[in-house]
Amino acid sequence: MATDFYAALGVARDASQDEIQRAYRKLARQYHPDVNKSPGAEDRFKEVSEAYQVLSDPEQRRRYDRFGPDFRHVPDDFDARAAAGRPGGGRVRYARGGPGGFSGVGGGFEGIDIEDLFSGLFRGRGGGPVQGADQEAVLELPVEEAYRGGRRHLTLDGHEFDVAIPPGVTDGQRIRLARQGGHGSAGAPPGDLYLVVRIRPHPRYRLDGRDITVDLPVAPWEAALGATVPVATPSGDVKVRVPPGTSSGRRLRLRGEGMPNPNGKRGDLYAEVRIMVPKKLGKRERELFEELAAVSDFDPRRT
Amino acid sequence: MAEYLLTRPVLQSLESVAVRSGLHPDLVRRLAALGLLDCTTDKNGRLWFAPSTVHTLAWVQRLRAGLNLNYAAIGLVLDLLDRIDMLEAQVRSRRPWT
Repeated sequence: MATDFYAALGVARDASQDEIQRAYRKLARQYHPDVNKSPGAEDRFKEVSEAYQVLSDPEQRRRYDRFGPDFRHVPDDFDARAAAGRPGGGRVRYARGGPGGFSGVGGGFEGIDIEDLFSGLFRGRGGGPVQGADQEAVLELPVEEAYRGGRRHLTLDGHEFDVAIPPGVTDGQRIRLARQGGHGSAGAPPGDLYLVVRIRPHPRYRLDGRDITVDLPVAPWEAALGATVPVATPSGDVKVRVPPGTSSGRRLRLRGEGMPNPNGKRGDLYAEVRIMVPKKLGKRERELFEELAAVSDFDPRRT
Repeated sequence: MAEYLLTRPVLQSLESVAVRSGLHPDLVRRLAALGLLDCTTDKNGRLWFAPSTVHTLAWVQRLRAGLNLNYAAIGLVLDLLDRIDMLEAQVRSRRPWT
């Protein structure tokens, strides 16, 4: 929980009640756990609500301004006692601006539970237990990891998760972590946390669902005469046969070499032919190309 | 050749917004406190509104009258409509329809 309620609402310390309400309404709409699915939103919503609850009440605000984050532990009759020469009866300590203001204070307000203050917020007017909101977070994976699957440890807004990634997850697929979402109220179960998979763009592999496309660079003579060349896939090199007379742009399909599919057909891998020529020709190479140019009547612009 | 002057967006006073929208200034102030209107407070505590405020107020009035929503709910509806607009624009730019 924030110790500075003004910072939580993003308002100045001398903000008017209307400004405080305006800031609160906007933030509450932005961070309500049913509107904002990011896992940090619920905490932020509670923080904003707590700040508003205190600052919207002139009496509480006055005490907060005066005593800082520990204001709840300062007895109501503090001023009277101070006047009587017994400041707080020696029982009260207050630390201005110190974080975690609720520890080790032996005032009459001991045992106040912040959660209690907010349980009301998530309870409908009917008052029964309500399940927590579902949350969503993005899980970015490199192609190789999406291909293999496996376990991954991740930290989201301070919470740690061990996630089993099924082999062959695709872009946009959601992995459900049951009961890891927002808190329920009055003993109701929490919501679920969904990890939305985003496959990171890869310099070589282009994904379309479970199909993978890779560029297949070939030499002009390999394309003309045909050849068997290696092509990299996420599971290692495989051989692909380039048929004689293959031009740039031709897509050679390698059935079942795409992303695995736990419940069905694997994707395919497409090797897209790109004919490459040497940047600089050797003397002999130049002679041979020149000879080919003289002999051949092939015109690629007129076929 | 035409000349174009750089101008600041003109902010409107509470009174001006009230007159132009035909609403009582107190109601405009209340809607601002509910976070329905883009506005800032100056040093003297006076409210200044974005040029689009009269347009937003008409929207608020229509939602309230047509859908029987309260003002707090309208704030959420406006936010969600904005978000939908943004997402739809993204979808359109990603997938040109052929």
